[in-house]
Amino acid sequence: MSTRDDDRVEILQGTLDMLILRTLLLGSRHGHAIAKSIEYNSRDVLQVDQGSLYPALHRLIRRGWIASEDGTSENNRRAKFYRLTAKGRRQLTVETGRWEKLSEAIARILKPAEQEGRP
Amino acid sequence: MNRRGRMMADLDQDIRDYLELETKENIERGMSPEEARYAAQRKFGNVARVREATHEIWSVAWLKRFLQDVRFGVRTLSKRPQFTIAAILILALGIGASTVIFSVVQGAVLAPLPYREPQQLVWLAESRPNVERLDVSWPDFQDWQGQTRSFTSMACVAPFEFNLTSPGIAQPVTGFAVSSGFFRTLGIPLFIGRDFSLSDDQRHGAPEAILSYRFWQERFGSNQQVIGKSIILNGANYNVIGVLPKGFRFWSAADMYTSLIETYPKVYADRTLHALSAIGRLAPGFSLVQGQEELASVQSKLDRSYPTDDRSLGIRIDALKNILVGDTRGTLLLLLGAVGVVLLIACANVANLLLVRAMERAQEFAIRSALGASRGRLVRQLLTETTLLAFTGAVLGVAFARLGLLLILAQFGDELPRTASIGIDIPVLLFTLGVSFIVGVLFGLVPALRSSRVDVQSALKANGRGFVGSRLGAQGALVVLQIALALVLVAGVGLLLRTVHALSQVNPGFEISHVLTFRASLSPSLTGTTAGSQIAIRELLDRIGHLPGVEAADMTELVPLRGGDNSGPFWRSSQVPASIQDAPHALYFWTGPNYLRTMRIPLLRGRFFTPADTIETERVVVINSVLAKKYFSDKDPVGQMITVPHFGTAKIAGVVGYVKQWGLNDKGDYNPSQIYLSVYQLQDLPNPNLASSLTFVVRTPLDAGTIVPEIKKVIYGSAGDQAIYHVETMNEVVSESMSAQRFPMLLLSIFAGLALLLATVGIYGTISYSVTQRVREIGVRLALGASRWDVLRILLLRGIRLAGVGVLLGVMASVLLGRILPTFSHLLFGITANDPATLVAVSVVLLAVAAIACYIPSRRALRVDPMTALRYE
Repeated sequence: MSTRDDDRVEILQGTLDMLILRTLLLGSRHGHAIAKSIEYNSRDVLQVDQGSLYPALHRLIRRGWIASEDGTSENNRRAKFYRLTAKGRRQLTVETGRWEKLSEAIARILKPAEQEGRP
Repeated sequence: MNRRGRMMADLDQDIRDYLELETKENIERGMSPEEARYAAQRKFGNVARVREATHEIWSVAWLKRFLQDVRFGVRTLSKRPQFTIAAILILALGIGASTVIFSVVQGAVLAPLPYREPQQLVWLAESRPNVERLDVSWPDFQDWQGQTRSFTSMACVAPFEFNLTSPGIAQPVTGFAVSSGFFRTLGIPLFIGRDFSLSDDQRHGAPEAILSYRFWQERFGSNQQVIGKSIILNGANYNVIGVLPKGFRFWSAADMYTSLIETYPKVYADRTLHALSAIGRLAPGFSLVQGQEELASVQSKLDRSYPTDDRSLGIRIDALKNILVGDTRGTLLLLLGAVGVVLLIACANVANLLLVRAMERAQEFAIRSALGASRGRLVRQLLTETTLLAFTGAVLGVAFARLGLLLILAQFGDELPRTASIGIDIPVLLFTLGVSFIVGVLFGLVPALRSSRVDVQSALKANGRGFVGSRLGAQGALVVLQIALALVLVAGVGLLLRTVHALSQVNPGFEISHVLTFRASLSPSLTGTTAGSQIAIRELLDRIGHLPGVEAADMTELVPLRGGDNSGPFWRSSQVPASIQDAPHALYFWTGPNYLRTMRIPLLRGRFFTPADTIETERVVVINSVLAKKYFSDKDPVGQMITVPHFGTAKIAGVVGYVKQWGLNDKGDYNPSQIYLSVYQLQDLPNPNLASSLTFVVRTPLDAGTIVPEIKKVIYGSAGDQAIYHVETMNEVVSESMSAQRFPMLLLSIFAGLALLLATVGIYGTISYSVTQRVREIGVRLALGASRWDVLRILLLRGIRLAGVGVLLGVMASVLLGRILPTFSHLLFGITANDPATLVAVSVVLLAVAAIACYIPSRRALRVDPMTALRYE
């Protein structure tokens, strides 16, 4: 039971990581802007939980996939800007590939169920 | 600021930034500023949790988890104080005992010598066929020194015991006479003053002395003015030229070092006088083998140049450390092995406790496992607990070890080499740390692996008693292991006990009881000449002999069993050998006419010396039975002539029995021929110091406490500057000669006792636990009509079966060890290491102890009331 719990957390974390990397592919951003960007691009389907966004950013820094640098935010305040590193770029490819495989697989499983469900 | 600190600061900035932006957006959406800020905070959520989660990312996760485990471990352990205290005590005993023995091994055997580049230092000796290491003669040594390149320096050394008479009161002092290169060879700079110079290696120099730091402190109050002053040793003036650094020590603690040639002038020109020890420092880049080869080639030149003196002499070089450590090495390694066994038993014992504990905790593990703890996590948690136990045990063990080491050094300090470097130092503490870590994993791993393999369902369902059977298997194995190991140790003690018994049955060739021996230094004014010394000795012995209660007294140069060596060549006067080295050798006993009566050595033929044998009459000697049998097998030796160099040609007056010189275990394989020479027939004393420091033997039925003050009165009465010291009964000499056995026997007995105790506790605990676990089963059996005796038999049989397997394995291990024991230890005497009687006796003892340990808890089963037992479920 526990392992399944762990896995679910892993998927969520991994997805958020991937979304952050994808967002930063377009250019460096600060934390608030990353959250806004994900929410906007998902048409507000995805709500980014701040409680996991910041730890996720730090985890990615620790892994060397993104880096932080000083910059100025829209309200003219000093803010941390996060940018993708070369390593992060490679990782994004890996993550995207894995995600596509996963969603295809899930789709394949779900589709026959729909067919069977038809009268 | 560290990286984590920087990152946390960044996070705080990010959070502030987010809240500001969010608030601004909310205001733009038309909220009031206050409302906007609250909404932003609500949207962000719990700041503290975000900070905590981020903090964790930047902290060393394993360390945190480890600290968590430690905290949890401490909590768990302190909840069960009885178990925890028992485990810690057992471990402390095991670790403490190992630490003591390791500190002795480390200090005495492993630690490098406290000299400069000690690995270059070697011990130089000559050798003769059948004699491995022969003392060196000075002329030979001089030739070595002049003709070798592979040594940067060499030196000779010989011990002495002198009477210091000025300044201050008379006091016996000990030390070493050394040639000029001694301190240079060891690489020891003087504390103050100067070293000996080359002129000290010549005759007719000025006698000089260098004081040890301790002696300088005690006798001269650390006064620097002592340099250049003279002291009087045995009536001769020595000029003090220096003081050694604190703590310097060669073989044994010494008061002072004197110039060799002035101290022992006789060695200077006599190539046949092999009386000196020699050391050397190998030149950089030269190995021991190269040194040996070069020295051997020099020696073979000497062989050709001095055929009558040096023919067939060889060279023997050893690393200095091996010589200074001596035979104790084997014994110490043996004890280290023994203490390792004790440690193993302690581990097995604690592992056993842990298994029982694990059964009690089965539910806890099941719940934790059900809540998502992985098996690795459980094992790690359990290992943290056991390591915690081991380290606490180690801390207590080091305290025990300090105490134990003090006791050992107080009791056996004289019998151990290099005691100065024995202590609980860094290498020892590292050893203890390593051992406790290994121990923690060792005794923790089996229970941890077993109890982490939890069958959640059955454990929860059966209320924690679902897997009793399998655990008892592991417990049984641990009991078997403990019994087997304990048997090996007890068998070792048995062998040593039998050895000591065999030794005490040995006939040393004289009567041990009621003999007292002591040393006395005579007044230098009386012993200036040989004739004067002889008169002084005779008068002193006369007075001692007339003391009430003294049956007989005489002087001797060698005390039997003490192992002093004074051997030299001899030959039947009709068979002069080509070289002195080819001549047979015998041990010389310089003594007087009353010696035989004093020691009660049996006279086999002819007569012993009488007061009528003097310098004026014909030289006579007395030989022992071994010499008689070997060299006079063809005729009656009494009346035959033999030649002893430095003494002359003498007539054999009588034959006496063989006297053990090298201790009670002397098998007569080294130099068993013995010759007695009368000190009153010596033209010239072979050693000028002989008269000033004499050994006496006295036969008296009185005890030492009564007679020694009387003897003291006699010695002090005849001259104020005479001293008496080193008083011992012959019984004490005998027990000293067994010190090689005494030291390991005492320690091994303690270890074996400990092992036996632990093993007994182990088997007791196991059976006791199994009785508790089987209360219901016992109840059922009793209810179904089994007699109490049947139940007792079942329980007893189980314990005895375990003990039996343990004993069997232990006997097998003992036999195996007995095979390899003689290769590094010569402790045993009169029995073999595989002595069947010892093994049988020890097995019986262990089985009996195990039976009692099983019987006590099993008896409880008899008191089980079937109804209570069944309801108990």
